[in-house]
Amino acid sequence: MKKFRVVHYINQFYAGIGGEEFADYKPEIRDGFVGPGMALTGAFGDKAEIVSTIVCGDSYFNENLEEAKKTILDMVRSVNPDIFIAGPAFNAGRYGVACGTICETVQKELNIPVITGMFEENPGAEMFKDKMLIVATRDSAAGMRAAVPTMANLALKLLNKEPIGASIEEGYLPNGTRVNFFDKERGSRRAVDMLLNKMAGKPFTTEYPMPDFDRVEPSPAVKDIKSVTVALVTSGGIVPKGNPDRIESSSASKFGEYDITGVNDLTADTYETAHGGYDPVYANADADRVLPVDVMRDFEREGIIGKLYNKFYTTVGNGTSTKNSKAFAADFAQRLKNDNVQAVILTST
Amino acid sequence: MELLITNNPLAKSMLNEKYEVIHINSDLVGVLIYCRNKIHEGHKLLTHPLSGSIKPNENPYKSVILSKKTKETDTQSVKIIEEAIITAKKFPKIHINPQYDEDYRMIDVSLVVRE
Amino acid sequence: MKLELGCIKIRDIMFADKSEIRDGILYVNAKELEQIVLEDEQISAVGFDIARPGESVRITPVKDVIQPRAKVEGGGDMFPGVVTKVATVGSGKTHVLDGAAVVTVGKIVGFQEGIIDMTGIGADYTPFSKTNNLVVDFSPKENLTAHEYEKAIRVAGLKVAYALGKLGVNHTPDETKVYEYSSIIEGSKLYPDLPRVGYVMMLQSQGLLHDTYVYGVDMKLSLTTMLSPTEVMDGAILSGNCVSACDKNTTYHHQNNPVIEDLFAEHGKTLNFAAMIITNENVFLADKERSSDWSAKLVDYLDLDGVIISQEGFGNPDTDLIMNCVKIEKTGTKTVIITDEYAGREGTSQSLADADPLADALVTAGNANQVITLPKIDRVIGTLDYTEKIAGGFAGSLEADGSITVEIQAITGATNELGFNHMSAR
Repeated sequence: MKKFRVVHYINQFYAGIGGEEFADYKPEIRDGFVGPGMALTGAFGDKAEIVSTIVCGDSYFNENLEEAKKTILDMVRSVNPDIFIAGPAFNAGRYGVACGTICETVQKELNIPVITGMFEENPGAEMFKDKMLIVATRDSAAGMRAAVPTMANLALKLLNKEPIGASIEEGYLPNGTRVNFFDKERGSRRAVDMLLNKMAGKPFTTEYPMPDFDRVEPSPAVKDIKSVTVALVTSGGIVPKGNPDRIESSSASKFGEYDITGVNDLTADTYETAHGGYDPVYANADADRVLPVDVMRDFEREGIIGKLYNKFYTTVGNGTSTKNSKAFAADFAQRLKNDNVQAVILTST
Repeated sequence: MELLITNNPLAKSMLNEKYEVIHINSDLVGVLIYCRNKIHEGHKLLTHPLSGSIKPNENPYKSVILSKKTKETDTQSVKIIEEAIITAKKFPKIHINPQYDEDYRMIDVSLVVRE
Repeated sequence: MKLELGCIKIRDIMFADKSEIRDGILYVNAKELEQIVLEDEQISAVGFDIARPGESVRITPVKDVIQPRAKVEGGGDMFPGVVTKVATVGSGKTHVLDGAAVVTVGKIVGFQEGIIDMTGIGADYTPFSKTNNLVVDFSPKENLTAHEYEKAIRVAGLKVAYALGKLGVNHTPDETKVYEYSSIIEGSKLYPDLPRVGYVMMLQSQGLLHDTYVYGVDMKLSLTTMLSPTEVMDGAILSGNCVSACDKNTTYHHQNNPVIEDLFAEHGKTLNFAAMIITNENVFLADKERSSDWSAKLVDYLDLDGVIISQEGFGNPDTDLIMNCVKIEKTGTKTVIITDEYAGREGTSQSLADADPLADALVTAGNANQVITLPKIDRVIGTLDYTEKIAGGFAGSLEADGSITVEIQAITGATNELGFNHMSAR
């Protein structure tokens, strides 16, 4: 029987090259398995083999994203594998993000199955768990022994196009897709056990986490809007023409701060949107439609508001993680407070 | 008078005296969206828009009772109607046999009649 | 209150000249049963059939499933307020024909619900593929209203089950289970160190084909109230709910309520099963507020440390569930809720029509939108005429080869929200 061909992606640390000081290591491809690939090979038995291992430094990957993706994609393409496996990354943040990013790219461009593994709190997990199967691992490499067979088993199921069971059975991170399975205990018994744990203050796991509610109490109304400085903030991706800070069209990793002193109108020549999640035609034709500088200037002149703040903050809300969004807001909210801005109009798309 | 928003001719004929009946010529989701608009105008939901356990793609008829207009928008009504619209939309369209139209109408009415 | 349930194991049902139980076989004289059913002039004809586990049989459209039971000792009689006179049940001795069930089928309205497959993959999803089923198929008199017809066949099914149950009264049970339920004060004295646990059971109560009866009372006309869990075993709660086959509680589910059984299993060991509360699921939002207020008041008044809340049905009961859960949590009582999901065929849609962060302990009976293909079956009891119309069936769902592609919501009891089954989802 033909063995499936596997390409395995690992970082500089797991390749034995070194730690943080070697994180700039450029992508290279080696024959056969390297490092944790040995255990994976063992778990595959005679069903699959790692034909090549790609090694890349975490800093290099994240700081040279487009270049790294292209190079690695070419390397994967050159060996024509049946599946691409990355990591596991455990709780290493940049490694996790790299694993998720490269898996997503390979899946999209080469149309082959991919799989990776991470600890649930790895930032890469939140970013990518609904885009690919991510095996749930412990938070450190001590979890390698447990992670490898789970990854190998799921990889073989993907290769053989077998149905994938529920996350709890297969060991991947819950990804929002609900899958039925038959539990050992009936539902009523599970409810009694859950209640006993809950009453005793012991840990218990709900079978369906409620959708994430992040309700924010509204601030008290501004007493006298005529005397305050008002700022504009948007997740609609409005940026100066040319997108000088290269805010990503989706999954933004940053926000922009731009001065609008003396700007009375956003025109097609001066502003555009960086957002990749909606039809940009109308926003590019007149960015005031998303970030209403023109109307705010009118209000300013008419005395309806005190003043329009001379900077605006902008990012792209398209698939951007809640964690990133919160960090952006904490940062620019502080700057707004420092400049005594008392009201903010948030526009979205 | 309280409002009865419905696309069900039977509801109109049966409950005409009790409610101000607004008959909407639309599918079930259309009725819910009409209700949503009325809720934003200040009407409150008096019956749950997902009345019945028959799935929203199985019975084409829907009757919802709303309060008289008030000055404020009721946030609980907003929440319930939005959830109902999401729920109704997630069910794929299926063939509904017109032969049983009378049954569909009767079930829908029975759910909003208090006996 | 103490109830002994004597289980007489039934391993087969057969038609015979004499109705009796012999060597674990339930013999049924169909003529006798026919006479009992036709006492109601609203039913013009009735047919009987038998479906056994493993047989290539499909029963549809299923209205109700009832376990034959009868009282041997103690007050009241089976199905009080509907088949027998109103009198408090739940104590003494009751005999159960364990392994047998009465399954009623029939057309009430044009769209019909409920499939029971006795073999194949469909059998894995319904508990009634494991029981020996006496299937009763009713035909109504002409010009009956749907309300009249619904009532006629609901009561006739119960009468048949009651008649069969009485055949076991003089038999020695194969197994006896004892359920003992104390008064509030007595229970606290007996188990001062155990957490006080209650069960809040939500009952479908919305209108025609959506009702539940408690001692004969239409539950939508009742406030939230209490009873002893042993009363439920004696048929105090009866199903008049014919929609949403997968997550409605048949009468059989009520008689064998698994939450009650599993709380009793821990009673006196890890918890004190102190109270059972029943509440309704009405369409009017004011009713929902009032009933859930009442649930929380009773829970608080009874000083419970934790409760399990079970739901029935699809859609607006999600709102009752969340209201009950949130209001009870706010009294300081811990909750676990049991529900099922409508997450779409892909499993990626929002599962519930309501939600709240306080509902942090949820047991799911699975995604009712999951699609399966039921293979061709040799024999159909009832009719496939309505298959396309069964909840979760869809246009073209009945294939030329006799197989049916459906969502599991078409299968009777598939995602029961009492936690009757092992199915779950993640």
